[in-house]
Amino acid sequence: MNGIKQIFKKELDRVFKDKKMIFSVFLLPVLIMVVIMSIVGNLASNMEDDIENHTSIVYIQNEPESFAEFQRQATAKYSLKFIESAEDRKKAENDILNGKADLIIEFPESFDAQVADYEEGDTIPQIKTYYNPSEDYSNSAFRNISGTTLEEYRQMLLAQRMGNLEQIVVFEVNSDNDNMIIQDDKKASGKAVGMMLPYFITILLFAGAMGIGSDMIAGEKERGTMASLLVSPIKRSSIVLGKVFSLMAISGLSSLVYVIVMVVCMPLMMKSMAPGSGSDLNLQLSVSQIVMLGALLVAIAFLYSTIIALLSVFAKSTKEANTYIMPVYMLVLIIGLITMFTTGEANNINFFIPIYNNALAFQGILSQDITVMQYVVTLIETLALGGILTAIVVKAFETEKVMAK
Amino acid sequence: MIEIKNLSKIFKLNKKQMAELKTKDPVKTAVDDLSLTAKKGEIYGLLGPNGAGKTTTLRCIATIIKPTKGEIYVNGHEVQKEPEAVRTSIGFLTSDIKLDEQFDVDYMFQFFGRLHNVPKDVLNRRKEELFTYFGIKEFAHKQIKELSTGMKQKAAIAVSLAHNPDIVIFDEPTNGLDIITARSVTDYLKKLKDEGKLIIVSTHIMSEAEKLCDRIGIIVDGRKIAEGTLGELLHETGAEDLEDAFFELYRNRKEEA
Repeated sequence: MNGIKQIFKKELDRVFKDKKMIFSVFLLPVLIMVVIMSIVGNLASNMEDDIENHTSIVYIQNEPESFAEFQRQATAKYSLKFIESAEDRKKAENDILNGKADLIIEFPESFDAQVADYEEGDTIPQIKTYYNPSEDYSNSAFRNISGTTLEEYRQMLLAQRMGNLEQIVVFEVNSDNDNMIIQDDKKASGKAVGMMLPYFITILLFAGAMGIGSDMIAGEKERGTMASLLVSPIKRSSIVLGKVFSLMAISGLSSLVYVIVMVVCMPLMMKSMAPGSGSDLNLQLSVSQIVMLGALLVAIAFLYSTIIALLSVFAKSTKEANTYIMPVYMLVLIIGLITMFTTGEANNINFFIPIYNNALAFQGILSQDITVMQYVVTLIETLALGGILTAIVVKAFETEKVMAK
Repeated sequence: MIEIKNLSKIFKLNKKQMAELKTKDPVKTAVDDLSLTAKKGEIYGLLGPNGAGKTTTLRCIATIIKPTKGEIYVNGHEVQKEPEAVRTSIGFLTSDIKLDEQFDVDYMFQFFGRLHNVPKDVLNRRKEELFTYFGIKEFAHKQIKELSTGMKQKAAIAVSLAHNPDIVIFDEPTNGLDIITARSVTDYLKKLKDEGKLIIVSTHIMSEAEKLCDRIGIIVDGRKIAEGTLGELLHETGAEDLEDAFFELYRNRKEEA
C-alpha cells in the first residue's frame, strides 16, 4: 500500500508542483475551448444580426398599384428598384448573381386587372420570384418575401375579393394554444445535455490522461528514471497501480474543470449558435443520477488510464507511445460522435460493447432512459476491462524485455 | 553476503541488434556460468573490458533482469523468488538509472527513503549525513535537470544510499567524475566497508580497482577468468601491476578461445 501511495503522490506532485504543468494540463485546454467557442458563437451571432439588419434590395417588374399600396402600409421595408425594360431585367439578374441585389419579384402585366376580373376557370395569375441561394442576404430575402410578405399580400387581396375572410378560413391551427408542448422538462433538458456531455466527457477524460500517461510510463522508461523505481523494494504492481490511479485523478480533475467551465460558459457560448438552447437548459440531477454518473465516471477514468498505461508500457519513448495512443483517441472520438447522433432506444446488446456502452450509459442516465441491468453491465464491464488491462500492464512491468533498456 | 551460483544470462537478439553486432547468431551470451561470493565488510571489484558482462551481472543481482540459468542469493534471499526482499537490502547505482529531472535532490531523497519505509527522523539524519559528506546541501533544492554531471552523480549516490543498505552495488561509480569527486566517492565506499557493509563495484579503471578493492574478479566475455586479492592476482600472473596482470589473463583467455 505504501508503494502505491508514494508513487501516486509523486505523480501528482509532478503536475501540481509545476506551475507550467498546471497551466498546460488544466487551464490551457479550457481556455482554448472557451475562446474558440466564444469566437465561433460571436461570429455566428454577428452574421445573423447582420442578415437581420440588412435591408433587402428588391427588383420589381410590372408592379401593380395594389402592391404599391400594400407596401406603403407594410412594416417591413425593402429597398425597391423597378424594372422598366429588358435591359433593366438583365441588370437585375446580374445583380442577383453577383450578390448586389437580393430578389426579383415579377408580376404579370396588368396583375390588378387579372385579379379583379377573375372568373372561375380563368388561369390564376402567377407572381414569380428569383433569388440566389448561395447568397445569405438573397436567401433571407426569398424566405421573408416569397414566404411571408407575398402571403400577407394575398390575404389582403383575398379580403378585398371576399369581404369577410373568416368565411373561407374554415379552421386555424394552434393560433391560441400556449400549452401545446407536453413534455417532461427535466428529461428534455437531460436529453439536450445528454447529447453533448457524454461526448465531451469521454473525450476529455481520454485527452486529459493521454499526454501525462505517455510521459508517466514511456517517458520514464526513456529517461531512465523508471529503473530507479524498479530497484526499489516495492512490488511492480504497486508502481503500476500508483501510476494508473494518479492518471485517473489527473484526467478526472481536468475533465471536471472542463465540465464546470462548460456549464458556466454554456449560455455565453451557445447564445447565438442556437438561440435559447443554452440558457434554457434546466439540468437538475437527482441524487441517484449523480451517484450513477459519479461511479461511471470513475470506472471510465480507470479504463482509459489503463488503456493509456498499456500502450505506453510497450513503447520505448513518449513519441512512440503517442503514435500508439492517437488511433485509440480517434476511436474514442468517433464512438462519442456516434452516440451523439444516435436516436431511438439503445439495444441491450449495445451495452456490452466496451467504450461505446459508457457513452450510451451516460446518455441514458441523463435522459433517465437506462435500466438497472444496462447500467450494471456497463459499470462492471468497464471495471473488469480496466482490471484485466492493469494485470497485463503489471505483467509487462515484470517482463525485462519490456522494461529493461 | 552475495552468492552467485553458475549464473548465465542469454539475450535474444532481434534483427536490428544482430546487424549492429554484425552476427548471425540470434542469441548473445552476456554472462556465462559465473560464480562468485562476496562477503560482508569487503569491497569486491568486477573488472573487465566494455561488454564483458559486468553490468549484466550487477543488474541480475539487483533484480532488474532475470538470470537465464543459475541462482543469486542476496543476504540469503534468492533474486527470482524474493525480489522485494533483495531490493530492500541493496543500494544500486548504475549510469542508466537516473533521477527524475523535474524534481529537486531533496524531494528525490525523501521519495526513495519513503519507498524504503525509512522512518522520518532516521531519514532526516541520513540526509544530513550524506548531503554534508557529498556537499549536496548547496544544490539540494535545485531541479536535477539544472545540475552538472558531477552534481547529478553525487545526488544519485546519496539517493541510492538513503535507506542505509547492507549491500551497495555500484556500476562504474566514478565514471564521468572529476578526480576530486571521484576520490570522495571511493573514500565513502571505504567508509561503508569499515562500517561492515558489502560493496560490489564494477570498473574498467585499473588504478581504481587496485586501490579500492579487497578482492577482484576479472571478467572477459561473460566468464570469470580470475579472482583474488591484488597480491594473489599479481602472484598468479607474475606481473608488476594490475594492468599487466589483466593483459596477461586477457591474452591467455583470447588464445584459449
